[in-house]
Amino acid sequence: MDVQIEIQLIAVIVAIACAIPGVFLVLRKMALISDAISHSILPGIVIGFFITEDLNSPWLILLAALTGVITVVLVEAIQKTGLVKEDTAIGLVFPALFSIGVILIAKNANDVHLDVHAVLLGELAFAPSDRLLIGGVDVGPKSLWVMGIILMITIGLLLTFFKELKVSTFDVGLSAALGFSPVVLHYGLMTISSVTVVGAFEAVGAVLVVALMIAPAATAYLLTSDLKKMLVLSVIFGVTSAIGGYWIAHLLDASIAGSMTTVLGIVFMMVYLFAPNKGLIAVLYRQKQQRTEVSLLTFLLHLNNHEEETERHVKHLNEHINWQQVRSKTVLDLAQKNNLIAINDQIVSLTQKGKEFTELALEYIITNKDENIEHMKDDFFLFRG
Amino acid sequence: MQKIAIRVDDLTVAYNYKPVLWDIDLEVPESVLMAIVGPNGAGKSTLIKSILGIIEPIAGSVSIYGKPYDKQRKLVAYVPQKGSVDWDFPTTALDVVMMGTYGRLGWIKRPRSKEKKASLEALEKVGMLPFKGRQISKLSGGQQQRVFLARALVQNASIYFMDEPFQGVDATTEIAIINILKELRKAGKTVIVVHHDLQTVPEYFDWVTFLNVKKIATGPVKDIFNDDNLTKTYGINYKVAVNK
Repeated sequence: MDVQIEIQLIAVIVAIACAIPGVFLVLRKMALISDAISHSILPGIVIGFFITEDLNSPWLILLAALTGVITVVLVEAIQKTGLVKEDTAIGLVFPALFSIGVILIAKNANDVHLDVHAVLLGELAFAPSDRLLIGGVDVGPKSLWVMGIILMITIGLLLTFFKELKVSTFDVGLSAALGFSPVVLHYGLMTISSVTVVGAFEAVGAVLVVALMIAPAATAYLLTSDLKKMLVLSVIFGVTSAIGGYWIAHLLDASIAGSMTTVLGIVFMMVYLFAPNKGLIAVLYRQKQQRTEVSLLTFLLHLNNHEEETERHVKHLNEHINWQQVRSKTVLDLAQKNNLIAINDQIVSLTQKGKEFTELALEYIITNKDENIEHMKDDFFLFRG
Repeated sequence: MQKIAIRVDDLTVAYNYKPVLWDIDLEVPESVLMAIVGPNGAGKSTLIKSILGIIEPIAGSVSIYGKPYDKQRKLVAYVPQKGSVDWDFPTTALDVVMMGTYGRLGWIKRPRSKEKKASLEALEKVGMLPFKGRQISKLSGGQQQRVFLARALVQNASIYFMDEPFQGVDATTEIAIINILKELRKAGKTVIVVHHDLQTVPEYFDWVTFLNVKKIATGPVKDIFNDDNLTKTYGINYKVAVNK
């Protein structure tokens, strides 16, 4: 296989393997924990490396993943004392474990091929150079196999326990009452996250693996209100950023992992700005529309309250309700577009539809019962809560 | 003599060595609609949670129809406080109700068309069928509580535990919910509700438990819902506050 293709394949598999647990970490508001795990596995990796002398050994991965789970246990133990909050507990635990790893490397730097820089940043370009030989035959890069197996396990667990993960993430109390132990599921997720981080660190490094876990999930969260779609979208964002990042790195002759993360950041920014419902622009537009609609309602109420023509003359509206020219025009246009008013000889009056609309809207505002205004929600932002 | 649905013996629960529930003995007969009342911090939610095995007590035991809870899970439905979950979670009303079927399915098995049908029926019962596909954050507080009730109904249990189902709901929803609870009791189910509004106790419930870390009293509303027990529970004179 071509080296370029091998690198991209590894990047894609790492991205998918990270995106899946990332979705649950984001929904459980545990993004910071992945950051902690990614650092505190260092002593596990170093000790594992002393024993196995092979960065891709399954034993090293398990040993390092165990350090990740220990991190979570320690954070929760410190938190449970009630003396400090969770973020402080995380801040206490992972630098301590990480520094043990740093000292271990420094003390043995002459004997082992491992340095802090490599652990933190990884180097995808070198990943294909370490080959897996079975009976003397080259079957591909070792890290491709390692991450491939981790990904298969992740997907298998996700498909098997999707329902359990969903209910324990959404409603811990119900999950416990139904007999799906939230503790077991929590540590299951922590274990698979730790294993993924350890498997991925050699390729993308301990810092950037966090981006691969959190950014795709956070981006997908802005686009959908369905957990399955969120998972699929996260995978798509992860994969496109991985491939896009690879080619940008190729063009700029820069770090592959760095470029991948940059693409992830840019994709998030774009979605944050342009997402149809939760995006910044959509929210600003909605707020503007809501302001106009409040004005519309005020205007309709005014018409409803006044029979006399002087109060309903187009020109008088400016003075009477004290609006700027532009605003009056926007409101008049909106009302006419929806057939709520009729204008004869500059005199504005409510149509039948306008009367009904005003009454329903009034009732909704007073009682907050929204059964009767369901049909109005499609046309007006105001009633969508 | 009615059968005993729930039996609590010498139950003591502590958070960080501070007792929240102290030596609770409680018997709830089958087919009652019971309110648990008491001031904030009285341990009302904690009592429910420890009956359901969500919180580990430091002493005492609980039985549901004579057996431990984990043998009787399928007989019990639970509605946690609305505020205990993240309503921004990416899921729909129907999907939340479907979660009620998970208990019977057990580990690994997926819900199928039978479970979906039951969930739609439950949504219909609480008047939420038109909203089945709506993302849960787009529902009003009352609608969210109805979805939670539908999720409990679909569990098709014998005993229902509800933690403050009337908190933050509109008057129509409150009446709709209490009517469904009364129907459940008529059908022979036992319903236990953590309740805050003392005014409505005589109107809504036929059984009541007064709780304030210790159990003050438990029994039929008509016998024990009186100024004496209210004063013992809340520590202030309630004569004026409650007109029966």
